[in-house]
Amino acid sequence: MSILHARGVVRAYGHTPALRGVTLNLTEGEIVAVTGPSGCGKSTLLHCMAGILRPDAGEMIYRDQRIDTLSEGERSRLRRTEFGVLFQFGQLVSELTAAENVALPLLLAGTGRRAARTAALSWLDRLGVADLADQRPGEMSGGQQQRCALARTLVTEPRVLFCDEPTGALDSLTGEQVLSHLVRVARQQRTTVLLVTHDAQVAGYADREVALRDGQVDSSGFGVEVAGR
Amino acid sequence: MRPMTLLRLALAGTRTDAVRVLLTGFSAGLAVLGVLAALTVVAIPTVANGGNNVSPQYRNALLAEAGLRPGVVFALVLLTVPVLALAGQCARLGAPARDRRLSSIRLAGATPGQTVAIAATETGVASSLGTLAGLGIYLGGRELLHRPGADGRLPLPTDVLPPWWALAAVCVGIPLLSALVAAVMLRRVVVTPLGVVRRVRAKRPKPWPGALIAVGVGTTALIVPLQRGFGSLPREVFLLLVLFAMLAATAGTVLGTGWISYRVGRLLHRFARRPAGLIAARRLMADPWNGSRTLAALLGCLVLAGGAAVLRAWFAADFALENEVSRRSAAAQGSDYIPFGQQPHLESLYLVNLAMTVGLLIATGGLVVALTESVTSRRRAYAALVATGVGRGTLARAVLWQSMAPAALGVLLALAVGTGLAYGLFGTTVTAYDFSVCPAGDCEPPRIAQNVPFPLVDVALFGVGGLVALLAAVGVGLLFLRASTALEELRV
Repeated sequence: MSILHARGVVRAYGHTPALRGVTLNLTEGEIVAVTGPSGCGKSTLLHCMAGILRPDAGEMIYRDQRIDTLSEGERSRLRRTEFGVLFQFGQLVSELTAAENVALPLLLAGTGRRAARTAALSWLDRLGVADLADQRPGEMSGGQQQRCALARTLVTEPRVLFCDEPTGALDSLTGEQVLSHLVRVARQQRTTVLLVTHDAQVAGYADREVALRDGQVDSSGFGVEVAGR
Repeated sequence: MRPMTLLRLALAGTRTDAVRVLLTGFSAGLAVLGVLAALTVVAIPTVANGGNNVSPQYRNALLAEAGLRPGVVFALVLLTVPVLALAGQCARLGAPARDRRLSSIRLAGATPGQTVAIAATETGVASSLGTLAGLGIYLGGRELLHRPGADGRLPLPTDVLPPWWALAAVCVGIPLLSALVAAVMLRRVVVTPLGVVRRVRAKRPKPWPGALIAVGVGTTALIVPLQRGFGSLPREVFLLLVLFAMLAATAGTVLGTGWISYRVGRLLHRFARRPAGLIAARRLMADPWNGSRTLAALLGCLVLAGGAAVLRAWFAADFALENEVSRRSAAAQGSDYIPFGQQPHLESLYLVNLAMTVGLLIATGGLVVALTESVTSRRRAYAALVATGVGRGTLARAVLWQSMAPAALGVLLALAVGTGLAYGLFGTTVTAYDFSVCPAGDCEPPRIAQNVPFPLVDVALFGVGGLVALLAAVGVGLLFLRASTALEELRV
């Protein structure tokens, strides 16, 4: 069953086209990797599908509702309640502790402090970083920070998780650990994952792989669809 | 978002954020002290003494004579203008780090409105603390300074208190106003989950602020003919017209500095042959409004200073003429000549000058904050330039050019506008009837006129003072250049 559908998405930065009519369908619970060389539009596609950027043309439909026409505030609320976004690094608020960071989306939505902290501690525990709850990002390693960021992304139990090079700043062993956590939790929660990466090993965790080239889905056959993983 | 969450996020920050909060609180405290002092002077009770309204319990004529008190109130209120501008400059301190934090909060799901609320709350809380401190100092100061002399008279109005509603309005109003201003200042800052973008006006500045200046100066020049035409304008209309003229001309001067910056940048770009001049030229052209933002308080002070200088020259000329007429009448009637005492009136104007000087100092404080912030926020770019072989001296000269070139013309413009406003309002001559010609009153006494001299010394002092203040601020900003260009900055 389709959960998020991008249809003919076009997006340019000034006169430089980044996406030239991309169509991509995500079904519930699947993990899709978007791969391709630098500058092919992977991150732009993720940003458009997550509602961070508004496409210049085309449609973005989430559960039968167009989201590209929503206001900035409505898209923010959608990201807070239905979507989760995980970047390469630098997404935690450096002045807050790990628990406060993870609790932040709930606090922004109006949840009480105690309930939000309980939920945050539970997620930190599930991802194996409960002992870091009262530490600030500057006191953690890159892998620990990324697991906290993943906990923050998952604390609202999103339906769709967007990950932009989530292990790009980590060594291969730590990266594997983070990805294992991500995939395990996604399977348990039946969360749809859109994983942007240029790393074939990372893409190997996905059910399906979509290759982009020059802002378009690469239909040459190379790595377009990998079924049965 | 619950209020406690808003507060926690507003007060989460580094040492730089703490400094920003402290400076914002300090500015709010100063503003509260200025406004409360003005309200106290307004609250002084007056008794009728012959034809004069006086408050004999005070030693100082500026407080004792009801006619002089509006000048004191005006000077005190003027002082709050650079203080508020200082608060505005403080809001930019540590802005890149705060912007990164707001961006991270957006990524966690905050709406644009929530991020603005967080930034405004920070300013509001800091201002509230400063307001409370200012109120405490005011109330404590009243007790400490209440020292009646041997004759029972007071040096300061420590025996009166503004009405409770006015105190409450100040205590609530200043934090609210600060928070509102902080929210307005963020209107050009777009905080997205991917980072923070500052919208830069792409259009070249146009010389239309000159029209605002013309409207302002023209309005003051029209007030006197209007007075004559309508018999006498109501006091409120007169004050509104003067206020409108001052605001229009000051806004024109501040905005006009953007146009000046752009033109100076183009000129520099055309004629500069050294890297420092070229870097400064490109920066001036890329963001010409930076000069307006940074110099606004200084230029505002100088507009008022120019006006005050002319006003003092006008008073001095008027008194000199009155004394001359009085001397001639005394000579014609064979009576003793007693010159008018002008000291209290000139004291009132000296107080305005003092307020201008204090205002300039506070504006300089704001400039120091702005220029230091400008240097430190570009540290990676500067470090990269130094790494590629650009000398620190070149960068220092570029900062100096960028700051001083538009400022020199801006200062001249501000003083010209200030003097123009005052000459428009008060005229370039003073006149009086010479009663010595027909002392018996059997003929029409002739009017004699005297030119109001241009207060060159006062204006030059303020002009040089303004430029020296700016130079000092640039010097302090450059102290941070060495640390900001350390190559370690490239590794952060």
